Amino acid sequence: MSGILHVENLTCGYDGKPVVKDVNFEVKLGDFVAIVGPNGCGKTTLLRAIAGLIDPHAGQIKVRKVPIKKMSRKEIARRIAFIPQMMEPVQGFTVEDLVLMGRTPYMDRFAFETDDDYDISKWALEELKIEEMAHIPVTQLSGGEFQRVAIARALAQEPQVLLLDEPTSHLDLRFQIKILRLLRKIRRTRSIIATFHDLTLASKFCQKMVLIKNGEMIAAGKPHDVLTKENIWKAFRIKAEVKTNPRNKRSRYIMIP
Amino acid sequence: MKRSQKKKIIATGILSVILIMVCLLSVLFGAVFLTPDEIVNSLWGKFSGFCSTNVYVDIIIWQIRLPRIILSALVGMMLAISGTILQGVLRNPLADPYILGVSAGGSIGAILAMALGLEFWFLGISTVPIFAFLFAIAAVFIVYMLSNTGGKTTPQTLILAGVTVSIFASALLSIIIIITGDLQSIYFWLLGSFSGSDWGAVLAVLPYALIGFGVAYFYSKDLNALLLGEETAYTLGVDVEKVRRFLLIVASILAAATVAVAGLIGFVGLIVPHFVRLIVGPHHKLLIPLSALTGMLIVVIADTIARTIFAPIEIPVGIVMALFGCPFFLYLLRRRRTYIK
Repeated sequence: MSGILHVENLTCGYDGKPVVKDVNFEVKLGDFVAIVGPNGCGKTTLLRAIAGLIDPHAGQIKVRKVPIKKMSRKEIARRIAFIPQMMEPVQGFTVEDLVLMGRTPYMDRFAFETDDDYDISKWALEELKIEEMAHIPVTQLSGGEFQRVAIARALAQEPQVLLLDEPTSHLDLRFQIKILRLLRKIRRTRSIIATFHDLTLASKFCQKMVLIKNGEMIAAGKPHDVLTKENIWKAFRIKAEVKTNPRNKRSRYIMIP
Repeated sequence: MKRSQKKKIIATGILSVILIMVCLLSVLFGAVFLTPDEIVNSLWGKFSGFCSTNVYVDIIIWQIRLPRIILSALVGMMLAISGTILQGVLRNPLADPYILGVSAGGSIGAILAMALGLEFWFLGISTVPIFAFLFAIAAVFIVYMLSNTGGKTTPQTLILAGVTVSIFASALLSIIIIITGDLQSIYFWLLGSFSGSDWGAVLAVLPYALIGFGVAYFYSKDLNALLLGEETAYTLGVDVEKVRRFLLIVASILAAATVAVAGLIGFVGLIVPHFVRLIVGPHHKLLIPLSALTGMLIVVIADTIARTIFAPIEIPVGIVMALFGCPFFLYLLRRRRTYIK
């Protein structure tokens, strides 16, 4: 399978100070990539750079071999969708209104939503199994429901790459699993990159993992190769016990305080 | 949204009909009360080409009342659109058409024209509006330059720069007033009035009103995206910085044009967008046309009251709007508690 997204020698940050340093990785179609690492290591900055929200100091990001630097905002928005950690629910918007906003990059200046845009929004709602919520005001939703609406909105952008910043961080266990299952289904036709704090959850649902510390990539690859005892110590300064299921190579991590 | 499409057409239709009826009714009232008969005759006379017999009535209707009503409608529309744009772009509910220094710059321009005796007539137009317009635009330009750091601006710095420049300008204004000692003319100018309306003023602001409306309407997608936050707007393909600059310019030109022809008129630009948002929600595709119509309606009604209630003395239109509008708006605000969150 061909690579959709290439992050090449990426160095980026704020006010000239690099936060992410010389990061390289490739994302293929159908990949679900987890970016993990301690707080402040540059996970979110990396996602923001891929989303085109900050300009790299060095290196580049390519979608299907085209650098995003050469694309217009609209062109980027048709390829990459970004779901920030906290999105403010807009007073007075229904779920459908919000999901339709995902069609913004496809609309011309002098045109408004077409039937196609409605159909695609409906499809996005169905993918996330929230079609019955279409006419509910977004301010009435719970955190888990709103997260699904946010993902549906991103999906309506028909992106090739879906970026999520800590999609499970303020959800209860049931919704964490629910969201990850939905994402696992969605990734079949595109690529997903998400940041996580829960290593066990991340390694259970993702095929690829990037471990970052102080903006530098410590390891990348299959979760059970990345999350070794040594790497966890290197990144988090925490002793961990790794229990690997020999059948499916899935690991669980028990932190030793 | 397909539902809101229908909602939009119905709401726009109803408001337009009300607006036309209010405008026609407004022609009846004034220092001299006309009968519906006289108006119908005069209007019919003009459109059918037959001259109406009463020249006196003709002059009141065609030279005094109609230009005034149309001008007040246009100004109401421009202020309402300007306020809607600025509240959206600056993501601040307290933003109004004057927040970026339009009022301050406009006042200085007007008083300079009056104080320096430049109030001569040039091609049939007084220079006061021209000075007011140019100084208002200059003030916004200064505010934008002050808040621009490295090609980027934030709503917060824009608002702070706007407020600061406004305070500075009003200090200058006070000094000019003290030096010239001419309090009366600037005071009446500052209060805002449509008493000097003529067809020239109508024609002068009409292009701004139409273009301003068109721009606002076709940028409603971008304004909607901004509701989700700047960052999300970027990832939806909206070039926030560029859109913001463009819309700030458009909103400020709209406000400056109203300042030039009618002075400072508060309330409409701040309250009308909120008022419409309370009723139809934050969707700009709906909000822009309905705000425009509501702005027109409110200013026409307020100006009709302003010029009739104590006729022949006129009270400033902004005061009428504040007196009647504020209690009504507060009532609405309290009824829809969720709006304040």
